[in-house]
Amino acid sequence: MNASAKKRIGPLLLIAPAAILLGVFLVLPYLNIVVMSFRMPGQGTPYGPGFTFGNYGKFFSDFFYVQQVINTLWIGFLTTFICLVLGYPVAWQLARGASAFRAFGYALVLSPLLVGIVIRSYGWTILLGNNGIINRTLTGWGLIDGPLPLMYNALGIIIALVHVFLPFMILPIMSAIQGIDPSLESAARSLGASKVTSFRRITLPLSLPGIQAGCILVFVLSLSAYVTPSLIGGLRVKTMAVTVVDALIDTFQWPFGSALALMLSVTGAIVVVIFGRLTVMKWKA
Amino acid sequence: MTEVSIEKLTKDYGQGPAVNSISIKIAEGEFISLLGPSGCGKTTTLKMIAGFEDATEGAIRFDGRDVVHMPVEKRDIGMVFQNYALFPHMTVEKNLAFGLEMRKTPKDEIRTRIAKVLDMVQLTGYSERYPRQLSGGQQQRVALARALVIEPKILLLDEPLANLDAKLREEMRVFIRDLQRRVGITTVYVTHDQAEAMTMSDRVVVMFGGRIAQIGTPSDIYERPANLEVAEFVGQVNIIRGKVGNRVVSTAFGDVPVSGDFADGAELMLALRPEAVELLPVNSGATGASAKVLSSYYSGSLVDYRLELAGGTVVNVQTFPRTRFADGDEVLVHAPADRFWPLGSAA
Repeated sequence: MNASAKKRIGPLLLIAPAAILLGVFLVLPYLNIVVMSFRMPGQGTPYGPGFTFGNYGKFFSDFFYVQQVINTLWIGFLTTFICLVLGYPVAWQLARGASAFRAFGYALVLSPLLVGIVIRSYGWTILLGNNGIINRTLTGWGLIDGPLPLMYNALGIIIALVHVFLPFMILPIMSAIQGIDPSLESAARSLGASKVTSFRRITLPLSLPGIQAGCILVFVLSLSAYVTPSLIGGLRVKTMAVTVVDALIDTFQWPFGSALALMLSVTGAIVVVIFGRLTVMKWKA
Repeated sequence: MTEVSIEKLTKDYGQGPAVNSISIKIAEGEFISLLGPSGCGKTTTLKMIAGFEDATEGAIRFDGRDVVHMPVEKRDIGMVFQNYALFPHMTVEKNLAFGLEMRKTPKDEIRTRIAKVLDMVQLTGYSERYPRQLSGGQQQRVALARALVIEPKILLLDEPLANLDAKLREEMRVFIRDLQRRVGITTVYVTHDQAEAMTMSDRVVVMFGGRIAQIGTPSDIYERPANLEVAEFVGQVNIIRGKVGNRVVSTAFGDVPVSGDFADGAELMLALRPEAVELLPVNSGATGASAKVLSSYYSGSLVDYRLELAGGTVVNVQTFPRTRFADGDEVLVHAPADRFWPLGSAA
């Protein structure tokens, strides 16, 4: 083997473990799902003999499923937006604030990830339920007459998802802001910009790469979240992830469940691509 | 055109003053350098003039008006940063327009002023480039243009040439100085590079430990340093010691007359610049102290010698390489009496 061939093989060897992992446990199962989505529904078996487009037909002909995709996207959008609004100031503080606060702030930001997802979601049911702490306190203080509908609806799901996914918004934005030379803000100030204007014209646009990454992460995670929506949404509000699992496990319709799963992935991917196009940064190399 | 007056300016971060009651009067259109080693307070002083740091005490006046409590954006300054601080997400044109937009300048005027300033810094045709598409020297000139296009009261430069290579640095020195003269703007230039300060400034402020050691023209600073620290910081210097007696210091070079009040018998330090010393062949018949060449360094236009005088005094001498001496040669050294500058009593 000559030297240049060796040079090319070196990096390939390094990425091989990750590539194999992804290939075997992501690409192959995905291909399997694609094939499964075209199989005939079975009678008492997961799927029947032969292939059909019927699973997709069922999806598009029943507005119930389309509506569910729309609901899921909405929950994703709102969760992402709220995470952005809540997370940006925290990210800024962590990147530029006093260093004494930083270690503590870091721990706080990561804290939602330190508790298992099931425990965390049950925790929210204790807080948000009709007989939960929030409703009982507010009723006790005489602020409300009956319980506020905080659970078994999109609101509850969004609250819980924002809580879990906030770190995924904060960390990329924080690292983007840390990468901005503070003298740029000084330069803007010296040219006559107030602190607010200098933030709006300099810091904010330069942190866009972090905002972009954070938004995509949170959005994708929200779309595919299962445990939180199923525990907090209950039977009344279902996201696509919950419906997919219902189809696969409860009603044992593997082909239809696969079609649903793919429709969710495809719509999610389309949204991410459009978002990427809209936030393209010409100034970056 | 603005006159800047700094009065008893002090900055204390809580661990003793970083800038200790300094006063400087800067005339309209004057180019002044703050020169000193890192940590001497020169950058802190500049930041206080700009408004990035609050002054603990003292006043900063632009044309008589105290600006100490005025926020940065109201001070009407143009600033050039060490790393240029160009906005990476904006083209050259947008970078230059930024300050004018903040001043609500009409669009047409913005366009004409940008064209004018680009011509001034010789970057016409670069307006659509992003900063990352420019070389270091070009970025430097954009930064300069961005600071000047707003026609500020004063121009502040914070080690603007530190990131350029040696050749470009020398070109930019001349470029900045010419530009400043043409525009006639009052300028404060911070540097730790004495050659920059000397070649560019009308006056140099030498700072050590938060205090002003000396303010003066480049030749004041070089030829008549206020003390040993200044003498050693600005250029190379030989410190010649000798005893005072009857207004004369007896040194290894012979007797040097000194003006000034020095008590007889005191040990005095005299500054002698290496290029002030003449080197002559022993057989030239000239008068001078005899010395031996220890080593020499040839750098094209100049030769640096290390010599040992009688009594073991070692001096550095810089000459044009018209007559060359080899290591070990015996030579005569001579320095005119007026090139010895008394620095005060030796400790």
